Amino acid sequence: MIENIWAIPLFPLIAFVLLLAGRNVFQAKTATWVGSLSAFLSFLGSVAALWVQLSEGNHLSLFPWLSFGETTIRFGIELNQLNVLMMILVSLISFLVQVYSHSYMKGDQRVPIFHAYLSLFTFSMLGLVLSPNLLQLYIFWELVGVCSFLLIGYWYFKPEAKRAAQKAFIVTRIGDVGLLIAVILTLLYVGNLELTTIFASLDAGEIPPGMVTLIALLVFVGAVGKSGQFPLHTWLPDAMEGPTPVSALIHAATMVAAGVFLVARMFPLFQSSSVAMDTVAWTGAFTAIFAAGIGLVQYDIKRVLAYSTISQLGYMMFALGAGGYVAGIFHLMTHGVFKALLFLVAGAIIIVFNHEQDLRRMGGLWKTHPTLGWFFVIGCLSIAGIPPFSGFFSKEEVLLAAFADGRMGIFILGIVTAFLTAFYMFRLFFLAFWGKSSIETRGKTVASTMIWPMGVLALLSILAGFVEVPGHHLSFWLREGSDTISGKVGEASIWVAFFSIAVSLAGIILAWAVYANKSIPRDLLQKPFPWLYSFLHRKCYVDEMQRAIVVEPYRMLGFLLSAFDRYIVQGIVHLVAGIPRFAGAIVTRLQNGQAQTYALVSVIGLVLLIIGLTAGRLFG
Amino acid sequence: MQINGEFIAFFVLSIFAIGGAVLLMNLVRVVHMALALAFTLLSIAGIYLLLNAEFLAVVQVLIYTGGVSILMLFGIMLTRHRDQEGDSVRPWHNLLSFLGVGSFLGIVIHTIYNAPLTEITAEVGTFSTAWLGEAVFKQYVIPFEAVSVLLLIALVGAVILARKESKP
Amino acid sequence: MPITSYLALSAILFSLGLYGVLTKRNAVVVLFCIELMLNAANINLVAFSKYGLYANQTGHVFTLFTITVAAAEAAVGIAILIALYRNRNSVKADHYNMMKG
Repeated sequence: MIENIWAIPLFPLIAFVLLLAGRNVFQAKTATWVGSLSAFLSFLGSVAALWVQLSEGNHLSLFPWLSFGETTIRFGIELNQLNVLMMILVSLISFLVQVYSHSYMKGDQRVPIFHAYLSLFTFSMLGLVLSPNLLQLYIFWELVGVCSFLLIGYWYFKPEAKRAAQKAFIVTRIGDVGLLIAVILTLLYVGNLELTTIFASLDAGEIPPGMVTLIALLVFVGAVGKSGQFPLHTWLPDAMEGPTPVSALIHAATMVAAGVFLVARMFPLFQSSSVAMDTVAWTGAFTAIFAAGIGLVQYDIKRVLAYSTISQLGYMMFALGAGGYVAGIFHLMTHGVFKALLFLVAGAIIIVFNHEQDLRRMGGLWKTHPTLGWFFVIGCLSIAGIPPFSGFFSKEEVLLAAFADGRMGIFILGIVTAFLTAFYMFRLFFLAFWGKSSIETRGKTVASTMIWPMGVLALLSILAGFVEVPGHHLSFWLREGSDTISGKVGEASIWVAFFSIAVSLAGIILAWAVYANKSIPRDLLQKPFPWLYSFLHRKCYVDEMQRAIVVEPYRMLGFLLSAFDRYIVQGIVHLVAGIPRFAGAIVTRLQNGQAQTYALVSVIGLVLLIIGLTAGRLFG
Repeated sequence: MQINGEFIAFFVLSIFAIGGAVLLMNLVRVVHMALALAFTLLSIAGIYLLLNAEFLAVVQVLIYTGGVSILMLFGIMLTRHRDQEGDSVRPWHNLLSFLGVGSFLGIVIHTIYNAPLTEITAEVGTFSTAWLGEAVFKQYVIPFEAVSVLLLIALVGAVILARKESKP
Repeated sequence: MPITSYLALSAILFSLGLYGVLTKRNAVVVLFCIELMLNAANINLVAFSKYGLYANQTGHVFTLFTITVAAAEAAVGIAILIALYRNRNSVKADHYNMMKG
């Protein structure tokens, strides 16, 4: 049984090949069946793997793939707690998203292709989490990037989608370069790319400490690119140009989770370097509050959710940076569930409002679509951290980890972010569900294939927290057999919990007061601080800064180089080509097929030959 | 250089030969050219006589002035013999030809007049057609046979080439 | 008479023939000029059989052969010319450009 783990990522791959081959043959319905069935089989396999893992422990199987010199790179699969957890998360959300897509993508011309991409995405992510080897991980890492490119640009006829896809690809690539350098450095210093070997040599202290820090930071650069941390987060909001199910998949389970997963997977490496841990923690904390701040003022429903994702990823990062290994993974899991829920509901809302995404034109949905409302409330409460929803427990763990690690600055940032999160999520909720809308929503039903995936996710959003509380089952399970991963368990200060609940409630009430009750005017803060508002509204000008600092100089350089190429290099090329052509034109005229011309040439040649041979003697 | 009969004969014959050749270059009608050529060849036969090659002179008259010239006339008449050598449309070609041939002639003449050639003369009294016949049929019999075969082949080949192609 | 005179005569005739070969546009005339060149060469052979260190009558033999070969050449040349004329309906040498690649 355990030897057949490799089959789990194979189901989506088969589905991908099938769908790609039959993209002109399959009906939309068949395509959905193929895609979601493969994801479901993967999910079943993952659950089986969990069961096996619980009963038999970890598993590692390798085969040699590439040998050079004394180094052999071995590919294979590794099964441990983290991998199993990620596999379940990925396959489950992929399954639900594919079912959901059936209704969401109704009427689209290329549904089989869409499902093919989704399947490839699932395959890449499953392969990524199963990799026991840094190189294999890197390969799947890039595959994930390609899939996100394909899916964000799925509606490639929209120029925004095209641009967003390119942006996502290029910005994450900056991070990928960091990861690639880290892989090369690791090969250089460890001589092997297997994670177990790397950790073993870390324990033995074979890598110089400076190099450990460097490698860890470079790995983190990769994670920053994929997980949308500051300053490489700009692709994530733009990625909202893709279809909403794709956003759900990217934000909940696949693309952005890859970065956090990578940091968690390489956790021993980070633990060996306090500089790296600090960097991770502070980057995460800054990203959390920064993205939350931007999220306050955005009006595109999907963009708000995108910024909330960035913010929550910041949470995970600073949890990991603060040594809260379990907290980070726990939050990754719960976030995957409730963010998928929120995105699916948002997709339904967008459908109901005739593909209108501007919050200012929404409203009054609570009366016409209470089911969506309930689901959305569950998601919002979960992300805001209200018990007993899953987000509460994981956020508690995260904050506790920061607190227990003694990083008060980060802890305070986390608390403020919690307040902002609650505020902007409920701002979103009240704007969409309260008040009135200019768009008629009555009579628009949401298809059942969209409702029940949301239902499953809502149920999980409520229940997912209880794997950890009470009893810390998840913590003990995740730590099992890995002595390197230390951390703080069971040091819960009860006041932290109450404090964060109070803060979140304050945020919710404030949002209610501003957007539902309207007892506080909306522009209370906007009026005295217009610069702050526009600063946040323009996403802190990060895009503009990147453009000015990086893009424009490169464009100038490219312009210069193209001018050089066009006028100098091409000129030389034309000259070189022109000389033989000119000579050839002359010779061609001689070659006119007339014997007399040939004879003349040979007579002149003879004369020249005689003169040449005897010049000295003739006239000497 | 003393002026004797041989000199006068050579002078007259060379003038005839070169004059015929120049006419060959400059006449317009092809038939006239053929006559000019025959005249030159006849003069060359005279030169052979001066060089004590009586048999060759006769052969020259028989084959060239007789046979070959007639052959040429046939060739002219079988083709478009009213053709005239029109104005040259290839001035560059002609100029280059003139320059090339001229410099070639210059070099050759220069070489001839600078070469240390002996004034030794063979025993011309011993030259005889009988000796020539013996040499050809004894010493040079194999080249002679080869040449006769060559002539036969040329004859057959010329007939095949010139005959009208039978329609398949 | 010095041999140089004969040689010079031969050279002049040869050059005239060569010039004709190069410039004449009527293929029949080109054949005439080739005959002229061959004859110029024959003059050399005969001249050297009378004058020279080892002058003897053997030169006549070679001249005989040359004349024979030249006759054969003339016959074949005329035959080729007639065949060509039948195909291209022209005796202009500059119309024969089938060698052009």
